[in-house]
Amino acid sequence: MLTQGEPRGIEVAGVRRAFGNVLAVDDISLTARPGEVTALIGPNGSGKTTLLLMLASLLVPDRGTIRIDGHDPVTQPTLVRARIGWMPDGFGTWDALTVREVLETIAAAYRIPPDQARARVSELLQTVHLADLADRRARVLSRGQKQRLGLARALINDPGVLLLDEPASGLDPRSRIELRDVLRSLAAEGKTVLVSSHILTELQEVADRAVIVARGRTIETQQLDGDLVGAALASWRIDSLDPERLQGWLTERSVPARRVGGGLTEVEAAGEENAARLLADLVRDGIRVTAFTPSQGALESAYLAATEDRQ
Amino acid sequence: MSWHGIQTVARLELRQRIRASRWAIVLGIWFAVIALVTVLSYWAMHDPQVDSGASMYDIVIFFVLGLGMLVVPSLTATSINGDREHGVLATLQTTLLTSADIVLGKLVAAWAIAGAFLATALPFLVWAWLEGGISLGRILLSLLVLLLVLAVVCAIGLMFSTLTARPVSSAVLTYLAMGVLVFGTVIGFGLTAFLVTQEETVSVYGIPDDWWEKNPSSIAPPPPGTEPMEPVAPLEPTRADCTTFDRRTTVAHTERIWWMLPLNPFVVVADAAPSKPPTQEEMYAGFTPMRWISAGAREARRGATDEIRQECNIGTNFQESPDPLADAAQREPVWPYGLGFLLVSGVGATLIANRRLHTPIRRLPNGTRIA
Repeated sequence: MLTQGEPRGIEVAGVRRAFGNVLAVDDISLTARPGEVTALIGPNGSGKTTLLLMLASLLVPDRGTIRIDGHDPVTQPTLVRARIGWMPDGFGTWDALTVREVLETIAAAYRIPPDQARARVSELLQTVHLADLADRRARVLSRGQKQRLGLARALINDPGVLLLDEPASGLDPRSRIELRDVLRSLAAEGKTVLVSSHILTELQEVADRAVIVARGRTIETQQLDGDLVGAALASWRIDSLDPERLQGWLTERSVPARRVGGGLTEVEAAGEENAARLLADLVRDGIRVTAFTPSQGALESAYLAATEDRQ
Repeated sequence: MSWHGIQTVARLELRQRIRASRWAIVLGIWFAVIALVTVLSYWAMHDPQVDSGASMYDIVIFFVLGLGMLVVPSLTATSINGDREHGVLATLQTTLLTSADIVLGKLVAAWAIAGAFLATALPFLVWAWLEGGISLGRILLSLLVLLLVLAVVCAIGLMFSTLTARPVSSAVLTYLAMGVLVFGTVIGFGLTAFLVTQEETVSVYGIPDDWWEKNPSSIAPPPPGTEPMEPVAPLEPTRADCTTFDRRTTVAHTERIWWMLPLNPFVVVADAAPSKPPTQEEMYAGFTPMRWISAGAREARRGATDEIRQECNIGTNFQESPDPLADAAQREPVWPYGLGFLLVSGVGATLIANRRLHTPIRRLPNGTRIA
């Protein structure tokens, strides 16, 4: 399908977009590679959705360049649209149509021949577990089911690049796990997957890299692999039967710590190696520790660190 | 743009309309109202001596257009911004459909529904035709013009639905535009008429105004005390007394402002295929609103001319026409101008709608959401 040597993936360089005097995206640059899941994370109003609209060929950036598989969505929208699957935040459906008809209509809009479309729709309905609701009106779907229909809609043209805006919102736990598996298998097929989300623990398990944006700017790009988890500064929560002694012990050795609710103490340790050593020392000195758990994922820590100045 | 794309959008629109709205009920009410009007007009006009078909045809067409102007704008006036509000427009825009596919698809779907409304009026037009007095050609021509006018109404609604963010505002604007076309043109014509009305000298061929003064004997009573020999026959002017003379009178130069009238869809439809004026033997004009509109517009177009006014209406060979507007049927029609204007507006509205649906969007109007 793709010719050899054609650039693949998403390249965004110095993109800016304002609505009137509201600057939605100030300066975002990112790269999403094929075969990887790239997470786009940031606080509310940081410009994630606007960026995805520009990637989805709906909005022209005021400045900067976007390349989807090497094509510019502004000058070559048709080429881009053939390659992308976009799942908007809050996917709307034609209420009067059945689930199957919604997907078949989209397939027709992609000029997929009817017989091929039928097969593709049935296959996708299985993937997103909506097969038993296929002939019900789209109106009766719950929010989570609508999200799954939105995912099926984004996949109908077998896109090489997926743009998913908050795909996990409204999903029940099982659907989330399934979404994760779907995203991983899409990446394994060599597709470029860009996901924006707030659910960081979820993303940490599925994403290969995270792009953190705040106030319309790229703050940092984080590789999410073993190294990050092993070395990142993370918080650990300690529950002890001797809270006073624990407190004294930590102060003595000037370990950064603070009391949190429920008699728990939170300490910061750079990497798992240091955390393990801290626990060993506590036990050696006879402090009765009943729980020692990471309070945040590595991605969460990175996110919080990057967006600290939110106020 | 492709036929496949237009078809995809049109099919989607029609499916939604047929299932979602109470379309069957609306169509039923529509049918019932036209049936009622037709039956009543048949009842009122039916006369074995007269072909009542012309009246029935006029009344049915008048009503179909009037109701159509009320119903059809609602088919498209919230079409685009309504889709935006439901978050389903962007879903189509990110596919291989072009903006023209979406605009024309929606237009075709709305037009098809308007056509369905027209089709329900067909039985009554057939009835009018069976009653006689109206030719099949006229019925077909006015149906064609009606279809075109309704297409323009659809296009105008569609344009407004791309221009405003809220469906309520576009619906109001669309009905306002209809109001300008239907009432605004007439009001505008009426208000400007006095600007083109002035005192002028016109040539008249008829009995001079001073004829009665010059022939006083005709009205003077016999001198008192004298017995009239025989009853004096009142002296009446004859055709021989008709001369050409000048008269100062007010003249309305409607030929300068007639162009406002054919902008009105009613004038276009009425003037395209007016029923024939009644023959002199019938002595009965019937109730034919569309023909009156047509005749009025044609007379307005003719306006004041330099021709000598013929007022020598005396004698036995003169017979007054049962319809004072009968002559108008011979005048030049005005509807081609109106239809041309409406079609140009419709095409313009469609082009604007297409432009407003173009993605990626560069300038986003206030309050518009994309997805």
